[in-house]
Amino acid sequence: MRRALRLHRIFISQHMKRLMEYKLDFTMGALGLFISQVIQLLFLGIIFSQIPNLKGWSFNEILFIYGFSLIPKGIDHLLFDNLWMIGYQIVNKGEFDKYLTRPINSLFYVTVENFQVDAFGELIMGIVLVAYSVVQLLSHIVWYRIFVLLLIVPFAVLIFTSLKIITASIAFWTKQSGHVIHMVYMVNDFAKYPVTIYNNVVKVIITYILPFAFTAYYPAGYFLRGQDGLFSVVGTILISVTLFGISLFVWNKGVKSYESAGS
Amino acid sequence: MIQVENLRKEFKKAIKEPGIKGSVKSLFKPKTEIVTAVDDISFNVSKGEILGFIGPNGAGKSTVIKMLTGILTPTSGKCCINGKIPYENRKKYVKEIGVVFGQRTQLWWDLALRETYAVLKEIYEVPDKQYRERMEFLNEVLDLQSFITSPVRTLSLGQRMRADIAASMLHNPKVLFLDEPTIGLDVVVKDNIRKAIQKINAEEGTTVILTTHDLSDIELLCDRIVMIDKGNLVYDGQINNLKHKYGQMRELCFEMKNSDDLLSLDYKGHFTLDEDDLSIESDGVSATIRFNSDRASVQEVLKYTLAKIDVRDINVKDADIEEIIRRIYKEGV
Repeated sequence: MRRALRLHRIFISQHMKRLMEYKLDFTMGALGLFISQVIQLLFLGIIFSQIPNLKGWSFNEILFIYGFSLIPKGIDHLLFDNLWMIGYQIVNKGEFDKYLTRPINSLFYVTVENFQVDAFGELIMGIVLVAYSVVQLLSHIVWYRIFVLLLIVPFAVLIFTSLKIITASIAFWTKQSGHVIHMVYMVNDFAKYPVTIYNNVVKVIITYILPFAFTAYYPAGYFLRGQDGLFSVVGTILISVTLFGISLFVWNKGVKSYESAGS
Repeated sequence: MIQVENLRKEFKKAIKEPGIKGSVKSLFKPKTEIVTAVDDISFNVSKGEILGFIGPNGAGKSTVIKMLTGILTPTSGKCCINGKIPYENRKKYVKEIGVVFGQRTQLWWDLALRETYAVLKEIYEVPDKQYRERMEFLNEVLDLQSFITSPVRTLSLGQRMRADIAASMLHNPKVLFLDEPTIGLDVVVKDNIRKAIQKINAEEGTTVILTTHDLSDIELLCDRIVMIDKGNLVYDGQINNLKHKYGQMRELCFEMKNSDDLLSLDYKGHFTLDEDDLSIESDGVSATIRFNSDRASVQEVLKYTLAKIDVRDINVKDADIEEIIRRIYKEGV
């Protein structure tokens, strides 16, 4: 574990050096990111100011759920973004060879290689929205639940990451799975809003099949209203651990079936 | 050091009919066939040996190397290197080997070369002291000093290849897999790389598996070769034996006004040659005669030919390893 953290630090610093190597590109990227986040924030403000409440959820509560959903998503985006490349090209072009000739876990190596700085946009926005809505809802907040919520965050991240690992692994058999990852990943957009606004089909999908609802709505609902404590908290933890187990299994199976590419 | 037994690898390959129609059809009704890339290959390599691993494009060389390096899992059969099975205990195993794929660099593209070494040092957990000694040794052998601070993307192909070999040697591996380490390099750089490989092998006793299409690499570096074709092992033995076995065929090339004249000569009758001992090709202005030099000496064949035909130019070809291998690739053993 200590070795993993050490390697992680080294890879991140290498990645930062790489970003700095192209200074103009880095500056423009950071600037672009900032602008796009500001625009999104403005846009959200406009939309939400038109919706005073939604199926019993107040404006500030919706804002909290939305903001909270961005935090696990952002962390996953920051740390495990390279999985997308597995689906799009690393397997297809035989570049995965490289990861297998090193004495470290291949999944760890793949994820640690990239540090997606763009994710700070989502993270910052998520934190700002959560902080703002918490201030507005101050009188309703039960404070010990904050610790429970913080505890849940890593598990919520794991739900994102596991689903990405599973869908990316498909590439080991089909050579490419970028679009599958994309399709599954996009479902998380549903989870940014209270699940109660959807019909049963969507509800079942985002609760039991692609359990994105556990990355935002359920933990947030528990935090805001103490709603379904057992289901929301224990459910998130169980689901994420199970899903992670499955994802490791699929990944390892996939690596065994990896066929490389001609050279 | 290395034992390979009945190694076999099959790939599933989708069969597609041409055009968009075929693509759509295969989407709904996929058809696959099984392609055997490597078919029951067995060989052994002893410690400290440099083994030349050759074969034409698509013979299955890379597939074998990828199985030996733990990248691919064999369909059946076994390989065992230094007492370890690559695909079963991959993480432990790869610590003891170095791999260079000439077509693909493993260096960090955007960063200064030394950064790559610093990261590899961490990955392989090389202690500081050993790291310094290794760098000194590799620098001496591969002369990295002049470009170690340059970003990898700015290196020339020759520099990059040297850097790649150094990267694979940093953790002092017991076995070094070099997949086409001289591809695309000029004569001088090739020579340097070969010398470096020789030196590493001599000083450290590293076992080297070398695949290449440049047969001078093989002649200069290896005593023994393993040749495969279409997934099958076709030759395993000393290069000298190969020369001995196939080297008795000589080639004479004549230029003349009308080379078809040569076809009318009765070499077979004159020298009592069998069907296998002789072949003649003629393209109008030049003719090539290939014959068994055990049965008829070069001198005799020349004398006989010159007496009968007015020849403009003569070219005597020696049986070099390249010629032998070309023939084996073309015709099989």
